[in-house]
Amino acid sequence: MTDTTPTEPDGGQTRDLSAARDMIVCENVSKWYGDFQALEQVSATIKEQEVVVVLGPSGSGKSTWIRCINHLEVHQEGRIIVDDVELTNDLRNIEQVRSEVGMVFQQFNLFPHLTVRDNVTLAPIWVRKKPRAEAEAEATALLERVGIPEQADKYPGQLSGGQQQRVAIARALAMEPKIMLFDEPTSALDPEMIKEVLDVMKTLALSGMTMMVVTHEMGFAKEVADRIIFMEGGQIVEQGTPQHFFENPTEDRTKLFLSQIL
Amino acid sequence: MTTAPTTRERVSQRVPLWRDVIVLKWVTQVALLLVVLGTMWFLASQAGDNLRARNINTEFDFLERPVDIQISEGIDTHPDTGGRALWAAMVNTLRLSISGIFFASILGVVVGLARLSDNWIVRRIATGWVEVLRNVPLLVQMVLIYSALTALPRVGLDTGPVNGWLHISNKGISMPRVFIADGFYQWAVVVLVGVLVAHFVRRHRQAVQDETGAHTSPTLWALGTVAVFGLIGLFIHPIFSWLGPVFDGVADLLGSLPNAVPQVLLAAIVVGLAAIWIHRFISSRRSALGHLSISDDDCFRIAFTAVASLAVVALIARWTGFSAWTLNSGQDLFAVMADKFDVDGAARPFDAMRPDIIQKGRFPNYGTNGLSMSLGFASVFFAVVFYTSAFIGENVRGGILAVPKGQTEAAKAVGLGRGQIIRHVVLPQALRVILPPTGNQYLNLTKNTSLAVAVGMSDMVQVGTTVFNQTGMTLPVVAIWMLFYLSCSLTISVIVNWFNVRMRLVER
Ligand SMILES: Nc1ncnc2c1ncn2[C@@H]1O[C@H](COP(=O)(O)OP(=O)(O)OP(=O)(O)O)[C@@H](O)[C@H]1O
Ligand SMILES: [Mg+2]
Repeated sequence: MTDTTPTEPDGGQTRDLSAARDMIVCENVSKWYGDFQALEQVSATIKEQEVVVVLGPSGSGKSTWIRCINHLEVHQEGRIIVDDVELTNDLRNIEQVRSEVGMVFQQFNLFPHLTVRDNVTLAPIWVRKKPRAEAEAEATALLERVGIPEQADKYPGQLSGGQQQRVAIARALAMEPKIMLFDEPTSALDPEMIKEVLDVMKTLALSGMTMMVVTHEMGFAKEVADRIIFMEGGQIVEQGTPQHFFENPTEDRTKLFLSQIL
Repeated sequence: MTTAPTTRERVSQRVPLWRDVIVLKWVTQVALLLVVLGTMWFLASQAGDNLRARNINTEFDFLERPVDIQISEGIDTHPDTGGRALWAAMVNTLRLSISGIFFASILGVVVGLARLSDNWIVRRIATGWVEVLRNVPLLVQMVLIYSALTALPRVGLDTGPVNGWLHISNKGISMPRVFIADGFYQWAVVVLVGVLVAHFVRRHRQAVQDETGAHTSPTLWALGTVAVFGLIGLFIHPIFSWLGPVFDGVADLLGSLPNAVPQVLLAAIVVGLAAIWIHRFISSRRSALGHLSISDDDCFRIAFTAVASLAVVALIARWTGFSAWTLNSGQDLFAVMADKFDVDGAARPFDAMRPDIIQKGRFPNYGTNGLSMSLGFASVFFAVVFYTSAFIGENVRGGILAVPKGQTEAAKAVGLGRGQIIRHVVLPQALRVILPPTGNQYLNLTKNTSLAVAVGMSDMVQVGTTVFNQTGMTLPVVAIWMLFYLSCSLTISVIVNWFNVRMRLVER
């Protein structure tokens, strides 16, 4: 963790991460659902502290790819290496990767029977075997970081969507992950709540977290991403800096996609 | 020119009584209460008049009169009075229901999990089990099991898989019986002390776990503590023999108290309980920030509780017989306990006997030494257990499927292992779907045991029928049946509801 000097991503300006360590390496990853090929030879390397935004039309395989990275889906061909641990059938590797990779879902998936505080402390207590008092102190700090310290004793059902998603982020951060995966974290939110979640994600990016984000928020992509990866039909079609991607994309399919959403 | 009143004007007007929501609510509550009480009183007096006119006896003194009934098994096979017969039958029905509920639950969970198994064969078998058992009438299954069991070999002195210890024959199963002996009550005190110690052990282990994060299995430790006390208690229980004289003293003390003491005490308890309930109720209506919001409905409940408690106090004051009765029973209770502790120091807490076989007329049968299960009991037991397991299995399956896939995924994503996911995420959420319908299945099982009459097992219904045939007391027996099955149902409902409340999700 010492071979990089943290540089702040500022307004889509590129920063040089070429010297940084590889955090996620995907080599020719393919996946089929029955006869349908959802991922086709996907190869990409994500550096430490890099923020990658994955774009693409619906059904292009974005979720499938990001879920392969913490083994919620199982890839059938190719290799996925997360922080020097390869994802194989080995349960120990899978559990190690999962405890280092945090994930935030579109539907929050908070545990409805636990209070906000217990949602955050569940994994640290049972997986990291932390003392309860310590885990709770950290949970309080995390909830403060995502801006909802006063909701700790409520249940998820009592919170607004934006608040729930921020709890979900705090829950993922409680495991002190090296990588955070976001699968459309704002798609289920009302417009006025999107900003509060995106703000939390921006601060997280500024603090140097390695992030992979599937989103339709172009503003966020332009402002925060180091790199944008565009997918279609289970393949990576084009990738590059936000500047390159939004101002002079090379591929026709990218142009078509941009013309539809912008 | 006249204009419609503005909003402000409308608010400032006095609301007429017939449009005031609050008044209307109170009036309907009180009116409804009066109507219900009135109807009940009317029906009761009508029924009383009619019964008297037709000379139908509704006295319960038949419970004391001798009857000639043979009961298939249980605490008393030749009861001398109607009451004793019904009592023995009730014990049989309770044995059936409680053991049935226990085993049906275990089997049901297994069936439900098997239905969700990844293994094709296991899944098919479980599906077949559910479909067959659900769709064949319970009575048919019961008779089928009964006729299969009658094909077992005839009982004899030397029959059974383990001669002298375990018999399985056409008279059912008989095995050694363990029962409590004279030293039991002293031993029970040792165990009680153990439970108390276990409580502290548990708290301590939990504190260590919370402090260091190490997994200290507090519950296991608590159970272990009780077990150790139970074991040691087998040898040292006479150390509590001094409790006998103490209880004697208490009994004497109670005998010398004036009647006013229990009256004041009972009144204080009733008023105290009511006050605690009202206090708790009000604080449960307080929001996290301390705002109190009490609806009219709540007011009604509070008022009702207060009035009811005062009525009970008045009753206690007027009806001196009740307080005298509590005093007497307290005295009796302590006298009995003193008697239980007044035993020879060497008395064992438990004893056991091997099953025996007696020659009754031409047919040999099991005697009363062993713990026996008749063919009738076995057929009813297996039939209700199998039948109910199919329904409980479906509840379990449905409950687990009702937990969204996203929950398991989120749990995996934070790194929880398989067992931890089931224990901390899936089970707590599945249980709240599983429990309510399973409570219904427990009620059904209890009621279904009344089919025992078909295989000659002496349960509540079979014995009750014989009793009213012999005494002519149909209505009282029916009343006893209703009271019994109602109490069973209420007990089960209370237990299931208690769990439900604990499991309930807090929503907005
Ligand atoms: N469990 C599954 N079984 C069969 N097909 C699936 C499954 N999950 C996804 N697919 C298919 O794989 C393709 C990629 O799905 P994926 O969810 O990754 O798309 P996406 O890019 O995330 O789309 P969206 O933007 O709508 O979320 C889709 O065509 C989808 O129908
Ligand atoms: Mg998706």
